[in-house]
Order: sequence, then C-alpha cells, then structure tokens
Amino acid sequence: MKNIVGLIVNPVAGMGGSVGLKGTDGETYKKALELGAQPVTPRRTNDCLSRIESKDDITLFVAPGKMGEEYVEAFDMLFTVIGAVGEETSAEDTKRIAAEMVNRGVELLIFAGGDGTARDIYDAIDSKVPVVAVPSGVKIFSSVFAVSARAAAEMVDAFVEGTDVTEEEVLDIDEEAFREDRLASRLYGYLLVPNVRRFLQPGKAASNVSVSSIESKKEIAAYVVEEMDQETLYLLGPGTTLEAIAAEMEVPKTLLGIDAVFGGELVGTDLNEKGILGLFERYGKRKIIVTPIGGNGFIFGRGSKQFTPEVIERVGRENIVVVGTRDKLNRLDCLRVDTGDFELDELLCGYMEVTVGYKEGMMVKVRC
Amino acid sequence: MLKEPIKLNMNEVPYPPPQEVIEAAQKGLAKLNRYADPEDLGRLRGLLAGYSGVLEEHVVLSPGSDILLREVIHTFSKGRKVIIVSPSFFPTVQAAKQFATKLVSLRLSPPEFDLDLDLLMDELKEACLVIVDNPNNPTGKILLHRQAVEAIIESTDTLLVVDEAYYEFSGVTFADMVHDRPNLAVTRTMDKAFSLAGARIGYIIAGEAFGDAFSSFYAFLPQPSLYAAIEALNHPDYVRRNVQRVVEERERVWRILNELAVHVCQSTTNFLLVKTEIPDIVKRLRDIGILVLDLSNQLPSGFVRVSIGTGEENNAFIAGYIKIREAYLNGTQMNVGLRG
Repeated sequence: MKNIVGLIVNPVAGMGGSVGLKGTDGETYKKALELGAQPVTPRRTNDCLSRIESKDDITLFVAPGKMGEEYVEAFDMLFTVIGAVGEETSAEDTKRIAAEMVNRGVELLIFAGGDGTARDIYDAIDSKVPVVAVPSGVKIFSSVFAVSARAAAEMVDAFVEGTDVTEEEVLDIDEEAFREDRLASRLYGYLLVPNVRRFLQPGKAASNVSVSSIESKKEIAAYVVEEMDQETLYLLGPGTTLEAIAAEMEVPKTLLGIDAVFGGELVGTDLNEKGILGLFERYGKRKIIVTPIGGNGFIFGRGSKQFTPEVIERVGRENIVVVGTRDKLNRLDCLRVDTGDFELDELLCGYMEVTVGYKEGMMVKVRC
Repeated sequence: MLKEPIKLNMNEVPYPPPQEVIEAAQKGLAKLNRYADPEDLGRLRGLLAGYSGVLEEHVVLSPGSDILLREVIHTFSKGRKVIIVSPSFFPTVQAAKQFATKLVSLRLSPPEFDLDLDLLMDELKEACLVIVDNPNNPTGKILLHRQAVEAIIESTDTLLVVDEAYYEFSGVTFADMVHDRPNLAVTRTMDKAFSLAGARIGYIIAGEAFGDAFSSFYAFLPQPSLYAAIEALNHPDYVRRNVQRVVEERERVWRILNELAVHVCQSTTNFLLVKTEIPDIVKRLRDIGILVLDLSNQLPSGFVRVSIGTGEENNAFIAGYIKIREAYLNGTQMNVGLRG
C-alpha cells in the first residue's frame, strides 16, 4: 500500500537572501522583487523530489500551481492537487492547504520554506502528521529542517521504509529585529519528523557570551588582523566573531550582514550580492572571512545568503578564511555548506582550517 | 539513593589491587620520612622495561603520564608546530594550548571519529610535534596503526608521541619500535589496568630524539606508590584478570545499550562513548547517585563518557538510564498534550 505524502512549497521563501533583506515576511517580499530577487524554492524542491528513491511507493497530494503542482509535473509521479490559490500566495494558503491535506489522509507532509513557513505548518497541523522540511528560507533557525534538500529526500525515503518519528523545534525570529541587527529568537512549537537525526539541522544555539569566549574571539581577531594583506579586499560575514575582527580593525560591523574592508578601511556596509560583485570590479584580490553561525555549523547557506554561489566561486575556496572559537567548534559535528549549488557545495567539502585562537587552527571536516 | 556515588566518570578500574600490593604500599608508608631510594626507582624502571619489552635506558618514570606529556609539549613545541587530535585527553589539550606557539587540532568528526591520515601527513611539511592518544580518549577508538606510525615518523623533523594509557585493554602498542625510531615516544600509566590510579605511576618509553627533555628529568615517586608498583609488576596475573573482567563487562554493557537503541561507540578501552537525546543526562544520573563524564566542552551535545565499573555498578547505570529515559519520554508526551 502506498504512502500518501503531501507537498507544499512557499514560493517566495529565500528570495530576500541574495538581495540582503534577511527574510521575506510581509511587505519585504515586494521589496525583494523590486531588487531583482529570483525564486530559490523551485530548485530546492526539485533537488529534493529528484532524489527521492521511493517515488513508486508514494501517492502525492500537492498544493496548486507554484505552491507545489508546477514542480511535480517534471516527474513521473501520480499526484492530486489539493485546494486552490490566487495569483499571490500567502501564509493563509499554506495553513489552509496543510490542514486540508491532513483531513484528506496525508501521512507525511513535505514542505519547502523557511522558519516562517514552518510556523504556518505548525499552526495548521501541530503534531497530527510528521513533516519533512526542505530548507529554502533566508533565515533558518529551526531544527525541524533537514540540512539540505538532498538530506530531506533521504528522510522521505526513511519514512517510507518505516522509521519512527521524533519531535523537532520550530523557532522563529522577529524579522523586524533581525533587520535591525538584533537576534530575537523564540521557541514556537514542535513538529514531528522522521527519526533520522544525522540529517537534521541542529537547533541554533545562543552565542556563548562567557568571558573566555570573548577572550577567544579577541585572540582570533588579533591573529586574523595581523595576517591581513593591505592589498586584499576582505568580506566579513555575519556573527559576533567577525564583529570582534572588525573591532580589532576599529571599523563598524553589521552584526548579521556582510561588510567589506580594504587597507584597513570600511569600503562596504550590509552588502547584498550586487554590492559585493560591484566591489569585485574594483578589487582584484579578495577573501571571505566567515564563522559558523550559532549551533548550526553552516558557514555558507544560512544567515549569509548574500554569499551567493557566484560570489563564492569568484573568491575561490583557497581564499575562504573560517574563524570560530574552540568551544563553538567542539560543539559541532562538522562544518556545513548549503549554497544551493551542489557542485559548489561538493567543491567546498573536505577539510578546512578554522582559526580558533592566536596561531591556533583546527582542521574540521566540511560536509554538504 | 545510594550512599556512595557510583563513580563511572574517571576511567578507573573498579577492582582494588591484590592484598600483596596493598601491603607493599603499607610498607612504603613506614618510610614516609624518606625520599624514594634511587635503587628502588631503578628497580621499578627495570621492571617496566621488562614488562614493555624495551631497553631500560628508554624508560623515564613520573608521578602520572600527564606530567610527561606536559614536559614533552613544553620542551619540544619551541620552533615546532604542535599537532593534536580533538577531542583528546584533556590535560594534553590544555598543555598544548598553554605552550604551543603554533597549534593545529585535527577534528575527529562524529559519528565515525576517524583520524584522516592524509590530512595529518599534509600537516607534516614543517617541523612538528604530533601527539595522539591511541586508543583515543574519549571515543575509545584506535586512531593509529603500525603502518601509519611508520609513515608519520619517516620525516626526522617530526616527533611523534603516542599516549597508550589504555594499552592493556586495546593490545595495540608501538613501544617495540622505539629502539630504532629515535623520533617516537610512547607514554603509559599504571593508573588503569594495574588498579593503581591512586598511586599515580606514569612512564614514557622515549626514542633518542627525546633524550634532551628527560636527561635532567628526575622524578622522586612517593614511597607507597613505588613499593606498590614494584609489587604489582611482580604479580602481573591480576592485571590480565582485570582486563578480562573489564572487557567482558564493557561488551555486555555495549550490547545492552545497543538493544535499548542507545547510540554507543565500539571501544578498545575501559570506557564507552554514549550519545543520548536526553537533555542534562549527566545531572539526571548524578541525582540518582551515578557519576559519568560530561563531554559537552569537547563534543556536540548529548555525548557522555561512561567508565566500566563492576557488574553491579554497570547494572545500576543501565537501570538508572532506563528509568530516566522513561521519565523523560513521559514528560515529553505530557508536554505534547499540553501544547495540543
């Protein structure tokens, strides 16, 4: 007997990332469109669906149009469209269709989106059926998400094979606060997911603010700044370790954004992809300095989507400097990348040296 | 609640040494007004050389192998990059952080915790001091095999120290290679398999290149420890019995935890690395009188190290774990109900 699996896609999730908007809640979506943002969920959804091996054992219920239907047409799968939506989709559509799918007997619900989408799904279905969350949002802090679209596909297969389910957190952060450089996250609820723990995104841990952590960041900053070349453009990613580096250089830093320095001077603030590529026209030698954000271990693909595949490719793997305190690194299984470009992700995989103190490095595996 | 806590947090062997070893320590107590006799120290050195199958000249004694590791790092980190694995024996990490002018940690990633030999070899392009605990503490895994050791010490600019604190349990040693490999050293202890943690007897079997560090290193050992160690080496049968009992118990605990669907790594030591989803498991176990080691400062959340105790102690740990898990799962279900 086939498993009835639902699919709901938030078509606007993740669009704010490449234009530096930190989310697409509310009216920000329109601003993202004006800035030329492109949808990212089609590719993520496609990546997930194409990798599901148990397609023959699944009966698919999908949301209409760009909320699901459009992506499954490319696959040789039988599907039933549930509900109807207008030209512009909203959170209410997600909630209504999710509830309807559960009423129609869906046993597993796949959804693609970010924390906001997870919140909507939770509102609609609570713990009634398990979900597989495909990460496509700008800011993904909830541990309910799979680490990548590929991992999401493996979770679907595990469910079909009969694995049990476990609870994972749905978090959300205040987007208004996020845009103002304040990180205000809260636990919103729990969703059930197939119990395949290694594929889950660890819940974002609060940054360690102990004195030793502050000292470690100062040590890292001192070493990184000492090693800086005055003829190279440095793109400083988000996070408090990068803030410490900026402080060492005596330049201001956007906590959750990307700033650029050259010759010890600030040459770009809260940059989006366009801004970064603009700087590449002026500066030939470039380096990216990033730190894994919170408890996720992601150096690319979460919270810093302005580092698009094009930006990363033009900088080159050898010019990526990873920094992080030893305590933070110790708490991670590995570093992770999920840029949205599998070939690039694979190129970034392998070991990278992370600066964890003054002349102190840790060789850590990067996985995708 | 038990009167005395069950100590499964320090990797001690739970069985006391035999009566004759205790009596020897008591004889040492009678000489507490005197420093150890150099002849007795020489005797212990000779016995350890014989036990390890090496020449006496390679053996240096110390009250604890952590002191020797610290001495090696202090002396040989000047002008050398220090390479350690992470996680590792905590005093090694601390000493490396304190003394190394350039430090590289090679992260052992869960769930396999393997050491990538190619990565290590890539790091050996300059003068290096490499320190690897083998088996690794806290994963219990063998990280180096003979071929790997051969490859690492091929470069004479590299000094390799292998910490074999759990050698008696793993059966893997490179001590026999020291006599013709000047840049290799092995540290060992009588704390574990010899049931002498309270005596603190450590030793290093060092190749010639380490000679400088230890030419002036002369450790007076406490009289009771010295006497106990000498007597222990005269009765090695009890060590074999200790190892056999610990290994049997380790495998039994491993099997039961596996049957309970607890993630537990295979071990070659007297401890197990356990991964649990129960938050605050160390505190919850402590509340019922069972001590295990919290690894949250070295590994992702949920990892704890559990030493192998007596059968009774291990049963208490397993029963306690089951009870805590049931309470946790019931509590979780109650929360779900409340949210719904």
